[in-house]
Amino acid sequence: MKALLRSRPLLTTLVVLVVWIVAGFASPGFGSWPHLRYMLELASVIGLVGAGQTVVVIAGGIDLSVAAIVTLSTIALPLLSWSFDTTGAIAVLGVLALSTLVGLVNGIGIAWLRVHPMIMTLAMATFLQGLLILMAGGSAVTLDNPIVAWLGSARPFGFSACIMLWIVMSGLVLVLLHATPLGARFFALGANPLAARLSGVNIRATTLCAYGISGLMCGLAGLLALGMNGQGYVGIGDPYLLASIAAVVLGGTSILGGRGTYGGTLPGAVLLVTITALITVVNASPGLRDVLFGTLVLGLLLLSGREAKRR
Amino acid sequence: MTSVSLAARDVSKAFFGNPVLRGVSIELRPGRVHALMGENGAGKSTLINILSGSLSPDSGSLDVGGRTASSLSPAEARQAGIAVVHQELSLVAHLSIAENIGLGAYASRGGRIDYSALAVRAAELCALVGLSGDLSRPIRDLPLGERQLVEIAKALYRNPKVLILDEPTSSLSARETERLMALLRRLKANGVALLYISHRLGEVMDLCDHVTVLKDGVCTADQPMAGMTPDEFVRLMVGRDAGDLFPAFESAARAETVIDVAGLSAGMVQDAALTLRRGEILGLGGLVGQGQEDLLLALYGAMPARARTATMLGAAGLVHSVTAANRRGIAYVPADRKREGLLLTHSIRFNMLLPDFGRAVSLALRRTSTERKLTDGLARLLTVKGDLSRPVQALSGGNQQKVALAKWMPQNPKILLLNDPTRGVDVQTKREIYLMLRRFAQEGQAIILLSSDTPELVHLCDRVLVMREGNLVAELPHGQVTEESIVAAAMGVSPAREAA
Repeated sequence: MKALLRSRPLLTTLVVLVVWIVAGFASPGFGSWPHLRYMLELASVIGLVGAGQTVVVIAGGIDLSVAAIVTLSTIALPLLSWSFDTTGAIAVLGVLALSTLVGLVNGIGIAWLRVHPMIMTLAMATFLQGLLILMAGGSAVTLDNPIVAWLGSARPFGFSACIMLWIVMSGLVLVLLHATPLGARFFALGANPLAARLSGVNIRATTLCAYGISGLMCGLAGLLALGMNGQGYVGIGDPYLLASIAAVVLGGTSILGGRGTYGGTLPGAVLLVTITALITVVNASPGLRDVLFGTLVLGLLLLSGREAKRR
Repeated sequence: MTSVSLAARDVSKAFFGNPVLRGVSIELRPGRVHALMGENGAGKSTLINILSGSLSPDSGSLDVGGRTASSLSPAEARQAGIAVVHQELSLVAHLSIAENIGLGAYASRGGRIDYSALAVRAAELCALVGLSGDLSRPIRDLPLGERQLVEIAKALYRNPKVLILDEPTSSLSARETERLMALLRRLKANGVALLYISHRLGEVMDLCDHVTVLKDGVCTADQPMAGMTPDEFVRLMVGRDAGDLFPAFESAARAETVIDVAGLSAGMVQDAALTLRRGEILGLGGLVGQGQEDLLLALYGAMPARARTATMLGAAGLVHSVTAANRRGIAYVPADRKREGLLLTHSIRFNMLLPDFGRAVSLALRRTSTERKLTDGLARLLTVKGDLSRPVQALSGGNQQKVALAKWMPQNPKILLLNDPTRGVDVQTKREIYLMLRRFAQEGQAIILLSSDTPELVHLCDRVLVMREGNLVAELPHGQVTEESIVAAAMGVSPAREAA
């Protein structure tokens, strides 16, 4: 019982359920299936970005370029569309390859050029944002890709396609982290890079993999965001930077690296969307919304997310 | 009754259940130079740390300036005028000499550091310890010997009543040493109580008035220096019943050469040549920090290195990454297991599997049952008891070391590079590790054993190489090697390298 109570993924899940139940009674319609489903759809984007962020944080790094990569993938999709590509599959693969490539460049900067992860990914974010403004300017990009449109709006058997994609990806990430040697290397790298290196873990390749995975997940999340929105624009990815890191930490993954699980990031992402929904319910103005969101995230982290003392 | 500046009475200290000090007493008096002697790992550093407030003893008491306390805090120790010159230097590399000397106790004027007062005082102290030149130079530009002098000046800046010096001359030249000796005599005349730790017997017998000898955490002598002979010292310090601790020596060396390197340079190491044969245990000795570690790291591919010619395990050339070394069958066990060897917060099982994770196919699924069988087998072999999902830091130092060593066994390495594998390990575990090494050698593995524990080199190794200032200065085959010959070579007393 005590061990269960100390399990952060479980605790976060319980918090989500309690909030849902209380809010469901307080506000009619909050607890309805369409509304819950809508929240899960929104959470799937945070969840995917959070998946990459979880891997990077466990491996002892941090990825501050996630928002920019999400935006990049929404803006780049129409640029990679050709007339012969009627299904849009090539464009989708192209976007995923591009976002993975950005992640790999982050990894190269960090592992080979030894730039600190914060500096490297922040510089990458700034670079990409400038590039996107040059490419798209202030104009929005309209979605014309059938696959992405389906992902964003289809609900086979009443269950959203994007939630299903999230579930599948979650399973893959959980297996990757906890049931493959590569996953074990992420944990070893995050816990003690020196000991990991001397034990034969290829630090550079492992770092490269972590940031590559993060890039790929951001690409996927960007496609989902575009599919749901119908439009892509500079700034579409912005909310996902704080959200992904907050979801990771709320889920009990150590921001210092080496410990954690994606199993905690999942309820973390749902919790963040729930908070946003509650803020919307109280009808706050746009500026106040961000103030409230930031305050609540900070409050939650103070309650549950502080690091236990480590020796 | 004579006054006592600082005394420890009947103090004991254990780390993770491994006793390091057992009922040790020591009394420092004003105007007396007290020597503290003992082998590596005898408990000297722990005793110093207790006297200076860095560690609390498990039992016993401390007397400071007429007051008795069960332990000291670092702040109380500073107030009582206790200063320590540490062996591992505690200077801030990017601050200047003067800033380092005054660090933490700057004179201030109107809330700002009084740099002119600091400069005057620092210049005085530097003249005293014999350090010349510009005092605004950052520490990182200074050679090791001068840093040591800054460290001493820093201790003097606080006008200590008790001055503890841990191996202060290990990196000083003869002239600098002489000057330091004169300074210490002056301090003694001024009524400072001095505790002096050194491995240099001549220095100690010359300078000190009283001596305490530690052996395995127990005090074996506490007496005036007058009348002590070098032989007596050695008897008090070593005098360990070696036959009991070490397995009988039996060479398992075979003809096949696994390492043949010439002209190897890496870090401190200059132009080293060595060979290693299958089943051989090659010792690597010398004073601490003479480049032995660099040599191991170079052979492991963990440090940039060049060699004129190199053949390792049949393949030409040095290895240039740890991954490549592992692939070729070379394993390394670091000295600092907490920092370099283990993932402390991860489970014993995870640590045992780590080398395998490093090599296994990235996306292959792990098999829990296979992992379990493997780690359970290792645990039985190591006699590590209990739940293997506990974090490895829950184990005693000795057991941690066994995990750090045994995690390589499933990889079947052909060469084991061991960096002081018995440092801080209890006697029982030492014995187990020695037996493991013998068995590895009999199975045909080649071992390089870097050790700061001289008896180990004497009793376990087929040959012993001694390093001094980055050079291999002696090669002593088993049978000819004695603790005395190793120490003599390490200190540069012996003639040049013997038959290679």
